Amino acid sequence: MKDSVAQPRKHRSVARRKLFNNSFSVICLLVSSLAIVVLATLLVAIFSTGGNWLSFEMLAGSHRENNPEESGIGQAILGSLVICSICGLVALPIGVGTAIFLEEFKPKGRLLRIFHGLVQLNINNLAGVPSIVYGILGLTAFVYMFGAFSPIRVNDQPDHEIGATYFYQTKTLGGQYVRFPAVPLIQPVIKIKQGRNASKINGDKFKLNVVSASTEKSKYANQVNETVLLGTEAKLSSRNGNQVYEAKTIGGDSFDFPAEATYSQFAKIIEPITVSNSDGDTFSLNVLSKSEPIPTDPTILAQSVFADSPDPNKRSSASIFRENSLFHLHLPFSKSVLSAALTLALVILPIVIIASQEAIRGVPQTLREAAFGMGATRWQVVRSAVLPSATPGIMTGAILAMSRAIGEAAPLLAVMGGVLGTTNHLSSLMDKTPVLPVTIFKWAGDENQGFEHLAAAAIIVLLAFLLLMNSLAIFIRYRYEKKLS
Amino acid sequence: MSNLASSTRMNQSRSILSNTIPQASPATLIPPVENESIAIDITGFNAFYGSFQALHDLNLKIPNQKVTAFIGPSGCGKSTLLKWCNRMNDIVPIARATGSLTVGGQNILTRSTDVVDLRRQVGMVFQKANPFPKSIFDNVAYGVRLHYKTSRSELSDLVEWSLKKAALWDEVKDRLKRSALGLSGGQQQRLCIARAIATGPEILLMDEPCSALDPASTARIEDLIFELREQFTIVIVTHNMQQAARCSDRTAFFFDGKIVEEGATEDVFTRPRKQQTEDYVTGKFG
Amino acid sequence: MSNTSAGQGELLGDAVSPRGKLRPRSSAASKRWQTVVVTGLVFCALVSVFTTIGIILMLVVESWGFFSDDKIEIWKFLTGTKWTVGQTQGELSYGIWPLLSGTLRITGIAMMLALPMGLVSAIYLSEYASKRTRSLLKPTLEILAGIPTVVLGFFAVKFITPYMLEPLGDFKTFNATSAGIAVGILCIPLVASLAEDALRAVPNRLREGAYGLGANRLEVTLKVVVPAALSGIISAFLLALARAIGETMVVALAAGSTPTLTLDPRMPSQTMTGFIVETFKSESVVPGTLSYFSIYAVAAVLFLSTFGITLVGQIIRMKYREVYD
Repeated sequence: MKDSVAQPRKHRSVARRKLFNNSFSVICLLVSSLAIVVLATLLVAIFSTGGNWLSFEMLAGSHRENNPEESGIGQAILGSLVICSICGLVALPIGVGTAIFLEEFKPKGRLLRIFHGLVQLNINNLAGVPSIVYGILGLTAFVYMFGAFSPIRVNDQPDHEIGATYFYQTKTLGGQYVRFPAVPLIQPVIKIKQGRNASKINGDKFKLNVVSASTEKSKYANQVNETVLLGTEAKLSSRNGNQVYEAKTIGGDSFDFPAEATYSQFAKIIEPITVSNSDGDTFSLNVLSKSEPIPTDPTILAQSVFADSPDPNKRSSASIFRENSLFHLHLPFSKSVLSAALTLALVILPIVIIASQEAIRGVPQTLREAAFGMGATRWQVVRSAVLPSATPGIMTGAILAMSRAIGEAAPLLAVMGGVLGTTNHLSSLMDKTPVLPVTIFKWAGDENQGFEHLAAAAIIVLLAFLLLMNSLAIFIRYRYEKKLS
Repeated sequence: MSNLASSTRMNQSRSILSNTIPQASPATLIPPVENESIAIDITGFNAFYGSFQALHDLNLKIPNQKVTAFIGPSGCGKSTLLKWCNRMNDIVPIARATGSLTVGGQNILTRSTDVVDLRRQVGMVFQKANPFPKSIFDNVAYGVRLHYKTSRSELSDLVEWSLKKAALWDEVKDRLKRSALGLSGGQQQRLCIARAIATGPEILLMDEPCSALDPASTARIEDLIFELREQFTIVIVTHNMQQAARCSDRTAFFFDGKIVEEGATEDVFTRPRKQQTEDYVTGKFG
Repeated sequence: MSNTSAGQGELLGDAVSPRGKLRPRSSAASKRWQTVVVTGLVFCALVSVFTTIGIILMLVVESWGFFSDDKIEIWKFLTGTKWTVGQTQGELSYGIWPLLSGTLRITGIAMMLALPMGLVSAIYLSEYASKRTRSLLKPTLEILAGIPTVVLGFFAVKFITPYMLEPLGDFKTFNATSAGIAVGILCIPLVASLAEDALRAVPNRLREGAYGLGANRLEVTLKVVVPAALSGIISAFLLALARAIGETMVVALAAGSTPTLTLDPRMPSQTMTGFIVETFKSESVVPGTLSYFSIYAVAAVLFLSTFGITLVGQIIRMKYREVYD
């Protein structure tokens, strides 16, 4: 007896299945070529808009307000290069170190294993955090430093700084600029700018709270007797033989705090002092009294000022100037190249870590076993067996991270503001500088039509940099792989 | 000289393998191991991977300056025991062991064991040759640089000695600075042997050193093992029974995490005491 | 060169070999150095930990500054439909929904573009493409991935809006669609590469089994490969979603600075990220003011959503990953 199962009679039409299959192939092809079309359109659009505006002048010049024809991206290019270099110097060691720790030093204890897993999870999540949030973090942590130091106002003297020299400068009657070193003195009156430890009349010590005029009153309503407005004047006086400054809180209580020497805004010239001019010559300033006539000899005129005259034309008072050396630093970092570079380093850190981890994982286990078998300690295994093999991958990852860094606008916008051009060129880490992506952003949003073309030209420059970096990555990888085999 | 060595061994192996059927001969006394010095003394040894017990209550004495072979079907624990002899299992987080494993009189299973120094004295050659992506010279010099302070001439003398002992010198003496990855498989494995002996270990552990090589290279390495025996204690794990028969003085047969039988190689192969051993050496399983 | 000592070495055994001749290095020194190095590495790892702690702390503390203000009630923040923070005139409204609506609209359009196109590209690359096509398509996607977001924002506001959308009529200069399309373009490479990894991880023997039963390529792909790679694909979608939500420069340039609460994609729509950028751009951020604190409140919402989505994506990828062994 034949034992068979009846075949189901309704077949799925082979022709129909074939139709679906072929259509899907076509759809795939179309969709994928769409990606190529989009990229091509993008590039053509950019080049057609900005190509004509690329010129050597544009590359070297700086931004000119309302004048696209004269503007350039020279400062922005320099700024981008400086910030990205510092960012790389910070992020790469930390990133590679973290990757080595995660891959090669896996702990055995249960608690440490949990820590290890959390760090790994954390890094994968950090890679997905929007870059603007990093910008806000940079603002809070580097620019304002969590409020630990008072914010630096423009042209004010920061409370904690190194690498800056202060001098007084004035113009002599003959038109020559002369300067002499400034010495901090205990001024008779100062404006209160930051909180400090102070004492009430009865001797109670408290922490003085300083608020700006725009702060909501509700914020300090419960401490009016320990708060002053920013800029409140304090007078010099003495208590118990020590020099102190006295002032009143908003609530009316009097308080005082120890006096410290500071630089005054102006210095009156009363007697001949040694000054130097812009050529570096030093000489003694010729100080004329009120009744003396103005000298006729131009040489003498160039070295003369009047003593103690309120008339600004008589040049008897000098204003304070600050000159920053290359190593000028102050706390808080405030909006500066340093803050921007550190913030950017945080942005690319997860990328560096993940890429380095991939590279380290790619090193075959047999290499590690061989080194271990020879009696190397864990770190020696990493240094001599793992890292040399992983280096091409790590370098590729580093360059990838740098490409990302050079194109990031959001965090830099938060930390440095929309700087388009600075009057002085970049001279220290505390300066602000324009950068390419932020410049592109501001120009693209500008109403002036000309800036639109300029923005496109700047984009071309940016893309050229990226092309250069990626070619470098490919080249390095090629060379290294040749060396290893 | 090597031809003489290999022909001696060939005769040896021929005599062993021709007697595949155990003869009813008077019980031969296994040469007592106590007469010679012991390189590795294993007592009451158990090894675990997590909750899985890989080795059960092993007792084994590995004699000095002889070649000892571990044979047995795959997965029976031979490589595990070998790896414990130089604490290579430390890189596997879930591996642990109890009992006593003594090298040169010291139990190496304690936490205070200086593992780095242990590996200077107990070298290892792996199944697949794993030279570093460095030059031939740097490969051999690697361990020496790790453990010793040497002058440049001392170092190059050492490298030369190791390569000669590993029967590789003549083939590479003109290209010491070239990458080790350019050598053939057999040459790379001999390089790994040279690398292992350069630090002057007492004991050499070899984990199936020829399994990835062609017969010609295998034969050369077996010759090498035979010669090295004069200076080193060698423990070799092998799947290849003929190789064990050719190269070794003593053999231990492992099955399912236990040592079924061990003794002089000739005895284990021609006059096995256990039925299981006989089945294995005659090829009934494994 | 070698001399008789080497020859004697072979016979005597000990003359050249280091045993007994050379002094070994102390391994204690290398172990001490290792401890120093490992401590350094731990500090490196801690940087990333402190970054997250820093972000969370600052968002919590400064948002508290926002919500503890007398004028702000958290209920109105979460449910209000008007957002006028930062505007100098008019009454203060601080409902988050207009910003959320902007984000959702743009993200929605972006995902409608990126998910299908990314997935289809991934399927094409993994299952269909010849070596030649692959060598053209994959670099294109990688280049697209590397384009800075300002460039795409520029493209959106100067090209997509005037040439593609305005001819269709009734689109405002700043609108959600243009930004959505640009963000979508941004996300296509991300979806494509992650989905492709997931598809490629499916071992060939599953495909071979299906082919052997007489399935054609489409059926193998849709019925065997994609379901097997599903957890990886879903994780890819979620990561792209988080990226789109957090996108800043494109929306700042193309979507405008007017928060609107509507479903109409032709209107300008400020997103959460757009608001933050706009506030920074105006450079009137003074610490301690309401405007300053509002940045943190909005950033907190932003961070919570992206962090949450990324976390879920990670968990899905780890937990449901097929183990093909």
